[in-house]
Amino acid sequence: MDHKFPTRDRTPADQFGNVPAVRLVNLTKRFGKVIANDSINLDIYPGRIKALLGENGAGKSTMMSMLAGRYKPDEGFIEIGGKEVSFSNSKDALEAGIGMVYQHFMLVESMTVAENVLLGQEGSFFVNPREMVERVRGIAEDFGLDIDPEARICELSMGEKQRVEILKLLYRESQILIFDEPTAVLTPEETTRLFEALWKMADQGKSIVFISHKLEEVIALADEIAILRRGKIEGEVDPASIESKADLARRMVGKEVLLEIDRTPMEPGEEVLRVENLTGMGLEDVNFTIRHGEVLAVVGVAGNGQKALIEAICGLRKPPRDTIFINRKPWRKFFAESTWKRSLSYIPEDRLGLATLKNHNLVDNLLLTTRKGFAFGPWLDKKKAATKAQDLIEKFDIRPPKITALASQLSGGNLQKTVLARELFREPVLIVAEQPSQGLDVSATEEVWKRLLEVREMAGVLLVTGDLNEALQLADRVAVIYRGRILGMLPVGDEDTPGRIGPLMAGLSEE
Amino acid sequence: MTELIVPLLAATVQSGTPVLFATLGEMFTEKGGILNLGVEGMMSVAAFAAFVTAYMTGSPWLGFIAGGIAGMLMATLHGIVCISCLGNQVVSGLALTILGVGLTKFLGTPYIGMAAPGFDKFAFPLLSDIPVLGNIFFRHDALVYVSFIIPVLFWFFFRRTSLGMAITATGEYPQAAAAAGLKPVRLRYLAVGVGGFLVGLGGAYLSLAYTHLWTNGLSGGRGWIAVALVIFAFWRPGRAVIGAYLFGGVMAFQLRLQASGTNLPSSLLLMLPYALTIIVLVFSAFRGRGTEAPAALGTNIEPEG
Repeated sequence: MDHKFPTRDRTPADQFGNVPAVRLVNLTKRFGKVIANDSINLDIYPGRIKALLGENGAGKSTMMSMLAGRYKPDEGFIEIGGKEVSFSNSKDALEAGIGMVYQHFMLVESMTVAENVLLGQEGSFFVNPREMVERVRGIAEDFGLDIDPEARICELSMGEKQRVEILKLLYRESQILIFDEPTAVLTPEETTRLFEALWKMADQGKSIVFISHKLEEVIALADEIAILRRGKIEGEVDPASIESKADLARRMVGKEVLLEIDRTPMEPGEEVLRVENLTGMGLEDVNFTIRHGEVLAVVGVAGNGQKALIEAICGLRKPPRDTIFINRKPWRKFFAESTWKRSLSYIPEDRLGLATLKNHNLVDNLLLTTRKGFAFGPWLDKKKAATKAQDLIEKFDIRPPKITALASQLSGGNLQKTVLARELFREPVLIVAEQPSQGLDVSATEEVWKRLLEVREMAGVLLVTGDLNEALQLADRVAVIYRGRILGMLPVGDEDTPGRIGPLMAGLSEE
Repeated sequence: MTELIVPLLAATVQSGTPVLFATLGEMFTEKGGILNLGVEGMMSVAAFAAFVTAYMTGSPWLGFIAGGIAGMLMATLHGIVCISCLGNQVVSGLALTILGVGLTKFLGTPYIGMAAPGFDKFAFPLLSDIPVLGNIFFRHDALVYVSFIIPVLFWFFFRRTSLGMAITATGEYPQAAAAAGLKPVRLRYLAVGVGGFLVGLGGAYLSLAYTHLWTNGLSGGRGWIAVALVIFAFWRPGRAVIGAYLFGGVMAFQLRLQASGTNLPSSLLLMLPYALTIIVLVFSAFRGRGTEAPAALGTNIEPEG
């Protein structure tokens, strides 16, 4: 399972000088009230690989989308070669020499590699397939990208498709190449080859920006690391001088306690969730139980198997037999007999998508997960549901306090309160909360936390979060997940727990 | 035997020609990602426009071009609805057929039974002297000879020109085409327009060469056959030729059978070419690689943001 990255025996070439190819100056981007990027300053040099390290939602993609011309900054500007530039679309950026390899490939499946690379760049009305193939083969060889230019895209692996995307940028002579989480789709072998290609490109004077949340990769690959947290540059480090991965992890996730809440542990009651030897779907031998009145936090850097765990528990994905028991029933039996009340409630990360219907009002969104008491055979009693929705709006202080408001008109905090109100109304016995306070302001976070602690009266809570503080404030125990395995189960009461979580998140187990 | 087969095959080529034009037209449109079910309506209007133009000016060639332009204008209507207004392609295409057929009947009734100068058959120099093949392929009107060149041009355009590649990319994955700096909206209008022109030529053939007289219901479902043949052809011009001549062959055969005074009911015989097309389509679909269709066929390009 453990994969060794190629060792980095390289010193970035000096011949390209110390003049930044691109400078981001005070770049700020807001989406509504959320500040995605807060006065970012960053210099990118030719011939060097700059890694942008940060959690999901830290603002990495927003920042690079501004550089690639997809978004316009609200404040600040971009300088290329000392001159201020402004892009109105990605074509402008491409012409200025900035290209981005997105996670989602922009390739025409039925066409060949050569046709895709040269699409829109053929240079003449009549084209000669053989000559196109030769042209593409030439660049591929220059940069050590192994690919058959005559192959059709639909025959290629993900790694090969990525190479085609890279070739597209190289053919357009892009000088700054941005890679958005490029290894997410690659096998370890392909990752190694990608790294070698990236080094080769840097040696030829290209600037590489590598976006990732995977520590080892970044340390193995980059010449410079910039850490992004909550939309700000937290700091820049030289990978050669990194003393501990744990320290890097902590800087990425953040450690300062922003908010505190009073929590008195409750006497745990009956078991509500048991996960037993759960292996598969990217998970490995996961074991834990949650009892009534208890909060268990699963923390980890995003992408370490949290999603599979949640989806399996919430019935979105089928786990192997006899691995998950909810309310003391086997998974299959529990979901076969699922009821509206006294059941399982899921509070997803994706509030305006998985949790709610954005173009429907609050009454419809309430009815989404419970119809008990509001239905007579096939008929819905909307009037009764509306009265109840009004009640909940008042009780949870949802604004605007109108049942006719559409989900999309609510702010993140109010939407989360709506989801909580709906789910708590069902009086669940198990609550699965995924990043419940992500993107919320302080007061909304406090409100959500308060509710999650109150709910222990009736249920057990599985809290999956990347926010260490949230875990420490709410949970009785913290399970640290890394590459699909629970590396440690730490009681929050212990004094040394906060210090032990960071190293475990970075994969340093404590044998 | 040869005296029976050769005229039948020659009639096959003639019956297949209008369907060939229409099939290639629809194929061109679909290559760009737009499904146009209005072929039947476009053919009707084009047949009428061609007839009236030839009748008024006395020039069959002007009539032929007018048919193409009429098809292109009808197709542009479909383009505006689907490409600019993001309307549903199926609904718009069906509406276009209803509009075209209805309009033709409304405008064409006064001309029923009238004759216009059309295209006459002539032996193509040299080539018509080839034994057997010369009689089958090279003793037709000029439009048949035009129809021989178009599949080759079609193939060349999509394989050997950057514009053809751009249209293919637009039909497969318009977002990728846009990312490569192309303009998918314009490319789709181009595909719809050129495709409409070719369909229009098929319509013009019906009134100027197939018959020289005007009558109602001239297209007689050939537009629908063209839509089906595009699927049969796996979006390849070579197979479109096979499909069109297959339809033409059965059409010619049943006409001859009717003329020979058989007892079989004529309505049953008339049905034959259409029924056969459906059967062939079903078999090719079984054998088929469903992945041959342009991936973005029938889906509109939603503006970003």
